[in-house]
Formats: sequence, C-alpha cells, structure tokens
Amino acid sequence: MSSFISIFMLLLPTVVLGMVPRAAPIFAAALGENIDQSAGTLNLGVEGMMLLGTIIGFVIDFKTGDFVLAFIVAGLASALLALLHGIATISFKVDQVTSGTAIWFIGWGLSGFIYSSLFGKASSPPAVKTIPTLYIPHLTDIPYIGKLLFGQDPVVYALFITFLVAQYFLFHTKAGLNLRTVGEDPLVAEIMGVNPDLYRYFALIFGGFMAGVGGAYITLSLVGSFYFDMTAGMGFIAVALVYFGKWNPLRVLIGSLVFGAVYVLYLALETYFPTTPYQFFSMFPYIATLILIILVGARAHAPAALALPYIKEG
Amino acid sequence: MMKGIVKRFPGVLAVDHVDFELYPKEIHALLGENGAGKTTLMNVLYGVYRADEGQILINGKQVRIRNAVDAQSNGIGMVHQHFSLIPVFTVKENLSIGLRDGGFRLNLNQIKLKIEEAEEKYGIEIDIDKKVQQLSVGEQQRVEILKLLFRGASTLILDEPTSSLTPQEVVNLFKSLRALQSEGKTIVIITHKLYEALDIADRVTVLRKGKVVFKAIKEGLTPQALTEAMIGRSVELSNYKMEKVSSRNSLIVEGLSVMGDRNEEMVIGASLEVHAGEILGIAGVSGNGQKELIESIFGLRASKGGRILINGHDITKYGVKGRIKAGLGYIPEERKTRGAAISLSLSLNSVMHDHWGQPYLTRGAFNYKAIRKFAREIISSFKVAAKDESVPARDLSGGNLQKFIVGREMMRNSSFLMSVNPTSGLDVGATEYVRNEIVSYRNKGGGVLLVSEDLDELLALSDRIVVMYRGKTSKPVERKDFDKLKIGAMMLGEGFNS
Repeated sequence: MSSFISIFMLLLPTVVLGMVPRAAPIFAAALGENIDQSAGTLNLGVEGMMLLGTIIGFVIDFKTGDFVLAFIVAGLASALLALLHGIATISFKVDQVTSGTAIWFIGWGLSGFIYSSLFGKASSPPAVKTIPTLYIPHLTDIPYIGKLLFGQDPVVYALFITFLVAQYFLFHTKAGLNLRTVGEDPLVAEIMGVNPDLYRYFALIFGGFMAGVGGAYITLSLVGSFYFDMTAGMGFIAVALVYFGKWNPLRVLIGSLVFGAVYVLYLALETYFPTTPYQFFSMFPYIATLILIILVGARAHAPAALALPYIKEG
Repeated sequence: MMKGIVKRFPGVLAVDHVDFELYPKEIHALLGENGAGKTTLMNVLYGVYRADEGQILINGKQVRIRNAVDAQSNGIGMVHQHFSLIPVFTVKENLSIGLRDGGFRLNLNQIKLKIEEAEEKYGIEIDIDKKVQQLSVGEQQRVEILKLLFRGASTLILDEPTSSLTPQEVVNLFKSLRALQSEGKTIVIITHKLYEALDIADRVTVLRKGKVVFKAIKEGLTPQALTEAMIGRSVELSNYKMEKVSSRNSLIVEGLSVMGDRNEEMVIGASLEVHAGEILGIAGVSGNGQKELIESIFGLRASKGGRILINGHDITKYGVKGRIKAGLGYIPEERKTRGAAISLSLSLNSVMHDHWGQPYLTRGAFNYKAIRKFAREIISSFKVAAKDESVPARDLSGGNLQKFIVGREMMRNSSFLMSVNPTSGLDVGATEYVRNEIVSYRNKGGGVLLVSEDLDELLALSDRIVVMYRGKTSKPVERKDFDKLKIGAMMLGEGFNS
C-alpha cells in the first residue's frame, strides 16, 4: 500500500502537468457536443468527426507547416460532416442516433482512406513537428503552477477562450436562451419567433468544428504523426462528459480535466508495471468516466427535446 | 374577422367555410363539442395552421398570418391548452425567449423591471424568479397571459382555459379577464362548457362539425338553446341511477407514502377505502399526488410506507401482475401510451392483462381463437366503432379506443377499477357512454376509484369524494354533503393542516 502512495506522490506533478494537454482534445469535442445537445441535437458522430480532424489537420500541417491553418481546415472539414448530419436529422428528420452512427463510420473510413491514398507507400510513417508550447521568462519558471498556467501550447489558450465565450453565450445572451429553448421545446421556440432549425444547424456546425479541432490536436500536439483509429473512442467519451457536465460547459471542463488526469496516470502506470499488459491500464480513463457519470448523471435534467426531431404540423 | 375559412386535414374537413367576427373590447365565447373545429379555427388565426381557403381581415384590411410571429405582430396572442412554457426555466427567462430588442446580452434584471411594470398595469401577480415547474396550473396560465401582454397582444385567445382550474381559480381568471377587457383588450374563450360561455361572454359563436351553427349576443340566451346548437338535438343530461349494493368487499389503502419522479414525497400517509358497489371520487388540482397514488396502488411505483389490501388480503408486496390477479383493473389517462399498445391489434390489446394464462395461453402459445373471441365481445358489448378486431389500436378514434379499454378492464372480471380522467378529450356522446358504463359497473357490484380533474364529473358519479392536497387525503365527503364550492376550497388546502 505504501508503495502505491509513494508512486502516487511521485506521479502527482506529472499528472497535474500532463492532464491539460490530454484533456484538451476531449474538451474541444465535448464543448461542441454540449452546444449541440443544448439545442436538442444529439451528435453521436463526434468520434468520426474527430477522426477526420486527425488526418486533415495532419495533412495540412505536413504539406504547409502552418499549424493554425491545419486546425482551421480540420475544423471546417468536420463541420462539413456535421452539416451532413444536420441535413439528415434536421431537414429530413432522420433518427439522430442512426445518422450519428453513420457519420462515425464515414469519418472513420475517410480518415483511413485519405491517409492511405497520400502516404500509403511511405516506408516509415511521416511525422510533423508538434506545436510549440509557450515560454514566458520568469512566469513559466515558477515551480509547478508556472508550467501549468504559462507553459501550454496556444491551442489550449484558444480553447479556454472559446470555453469562456461558450459559457457566456449559453447563459447570458438572448441567442443562448433561444438555443436552450430549442433544446427544451422547439415548438415553443417557434411560437416565440425563434427558428429552431437555424439554431440546430448552427449548434451542429459549431460542434463539428470543435470535434475537428479536437481531432487535429491529437495528431498535431500530442503525437506528431497519424495512425489509424487514433481517437480510440474519445468522441464517445466526449458525449458522455456532456451528460456528466449536465449541459454546463464549466462542468464539462472539469470532467475533461479528470479524464485527462486519469489518462496521464494510465500512461505512467504502464511504464511502472511493464509486466501487466497495457490494455489493462488503458481501460482506466473510460472506467473513470463511467463512474463519474453514475455518480452524477442519473438525476440531471437533460434538454427535454434532446434527440427528438422537430416536425411541424399543418 | 375571418371570412370563409376552410381547413382540411387528411380525410377530415376540420373547418368548413367559417365566418367569424370579433369586435374590439369584447369577450367572445367560441363554443362547441370536442372536435367541432374551435381550436383548429383559432390556430388558423394564430398562424399555427394555414387555411386552405378564406381570408383574415383586421379593420377591413386583409392580412397574411403564416406563423405565430405574424399573429403576434398583428396583436394576436393565444394560450393553448398545453402551455407554451419551458418548465425548467424561470418565469422571466420564459418571457425573454425570442426577444429582439436591446442588444445581444440577456439582461434579466432589466427585463425583470419591464415585466413588473406589465404585472402592475394588468394586475397580475406572479413571482417571476420562480421556475415555471414550481407554479400551479393557475399561475402558469397567468404567466402565459402575461407573456402575451408583454409582447403587446391586444387580442387574447384562450383555449379551454378553465379545464384544469379549481372553481375558485375560475372565478379569479374571469375577474382578470374582465379587468383586461376594461383595459381595452379583446378576448376569445374557446370552451365546451356552456355555463362558462353564458357567464363571461358578451357574444357567442357555436361551431358544430366545422360549421358555424349559431351566433348571438348574450342577452336572452338560454342554456337549452345553446345545448341544442352544440349537439344538434336536445339532450337530457342523464341522472345516473345509483343502486344500493351490499357487499363487504373493499379496496383499502392505509397510510400510503410514495415518492415522486423528483425524489420528493408526493403521497404522504394517504388513506382511503373503496367498497364494492361504490364509486369513490378523488378530487384535487393535478399534481397533488393523484398520479403517484394510483400508480402505487397498481404497483407501477414503489411505496415507501403503508399497506394496500384487497378484500382483507395484503397486496403491498405484490408486483403489477399479482395485483391484476387479485382483481385490480386500471384505466389510465394516457390511452395511447399506457392504455393500449397502439401498433398492436385490438385482439392482442384485449388480453394485455390476461395473456399469461388460460384460455389465452395454452401450452406456451397464444390461443388466437380465444383472444379474437374476447376482443369481438368487447367490441360488440361496448359499441366500439372498429372494422374488426384485427385493426391496430391506433386506427381507433380517442373515444372508441377509450370505450375499448374500459370494456377490457370491465369484462375481465376485475372487482376494483381505477380510472383517471376517463372522459378527458371525449365528445359528449362518448363521455355519456363511458360514465354510464362506470355507473353500471358499480351497480353490478364493482368498486371504482375515480380520479378526475373535472369536478362536475366527480360530483355526478361519486358516492363519496376524497380530496387530495399536497399528497394528503381528506376525510371522505358523503354524496348528500356534496357542495361544489366547499370541495373546491378543500382542493386549495382548506381543512388540511400543513
């Protein structure tokens, strides 16, 4: 037992410093999904949108070396996929779960297809330089919190600003109230002069963009190269974290950080216990997410019109 | 005014060349039976539906109303039976949805001031910081009215505004409507209750089967004339024949406590006793624990304390199936979601509570011959209008489906029947039919626990009435002591010590 505690203490700084970048991709996707679901659209295609983001971000960075451009194009590509989901579910009232599942596989297939057609014959997997982290003299050198607060990469800061904007938008603007109304009861929204379809399209496209950014973050910041299926179910964890977060971005952020921390812990434990097959530890973040949801999820009020198509009468 | 309005739905002519005039500052009752086209006509005016023919004129000028927003910008507002409110939002949030003026930011404090101004002007008192789900139905209705006034409505359309109010709340509503009228508002009340129309309206228009059959100012109108116009013939509203039945069988509930969906105690130590050959009415404003009580007695919801006995036999620990076998029947309010599996045939629906044994199940397989025979018996004895027993339940109209469900529960040898709002949404004919069947079930020695939001229905049918308020039950009131206002006061908490 004492050896466990000493390992834990040893790992604590690693976990605290490592959790932010590990949380970033999942938070990006979960934040988008939160806006989606607040408008009543369930997007189960996040996994596929993230996968598309991983390859598009990688290809653009590999060809141009411009990581900002890479993130934007990756986001737009996934937003296109989200638009497809929107056309199916909003305009043609297809079941959201069915369409979302299809989108997942489309993203999965596209990511592999694009990679194989561009790099299929490469003898060793191509790599890009991961994006640089910030260094501010003195500030970043402060022990522990210096690196945590002032030593992240620019995308993390951009994400944080997006989070602040989203939080404000959802609860302190008229458009945010309208969006939440669409998620509760699109008919009421319509009667009050709000166009439900418009808000749902907006939410889906934003959600898709964020999923693409999250995917690109995995290749461009965490790994530096692409391999198949590298999101490993993170898209679904993002959906789960929205439930944990009770449709409040702040709570989604906290949930993402917990996920990130457990993820780093798993990576570290893997090296400490080389004899245990690593798959055992790789279950940890997912088990942790499940436990989190069980602890808080059951009593939450979900948007009343979540996953219900809006069909007008008359 | 509306001229030559026609609205068709697939297979139905809902509104048939209707002319409807509305004068400024009047209270106008739009009267008719369920299905007469009243709500459809007003939904056309409010832009929910588009008319297939006809035109709408305001002050002589033709206007196009394509949606609710168009209606609102013409000063027309409508309160539907199902309120257009978001229960988890506060009142002020509900009033802020879709606001266009005043920038991007949602400044609730500023909106609050504006709402309070409107509250004062129209004499409506509501705590606007509360969530809508914490408000009573009457209060929610006031929120709806306030919302329309807040958006500048000069004409208010209220669809069956009294259907879930207590008598006292109705009095208050009518008072505020008269106050609004003197403020210069025009009001339309859609109703099927003719006494209400006589009470509040300056003018009355009666619709029947989509056509205007009667128009008059209030002076000199008699209830008889209005009834005839509504139904197309004169009907004697029946006096139900209550026969004396002697039996010692009873359904007893003792100190029952039940938790609600929000993890709060919805039924608190409720006690009641239904004898065989008796109808025990449960009165109460909806949401005071009636739903949870009935679900718990039937076994759909676990009880936290107390006992349930049928003929002296404790069934508290039984599941639903055990309780059905012990002789309990249930006619839920939600016909299409709980009363029947609407995509299944009538024959399968007929054995929903009996399919696990003889004669419907033999050697592990359905005996369709016996099942169909039972379904046919229900259809013929209860005059269900259905092609045959093989049609899916969804093909039946609301009234016919209800007759079928009532028939099923009565013909399967139950000894006690629980029924929740059995006639809600039914036309006069079906309502009379269902009520008569409930009385005859009682006269044959069955015991009935009748929950209804329609106090008149309870007064007409019950031998005794128990009032539920905030999860508690009152002492039963005997039929000879029935007094509408007194029971109405109990529904608002009089005589309950909190």
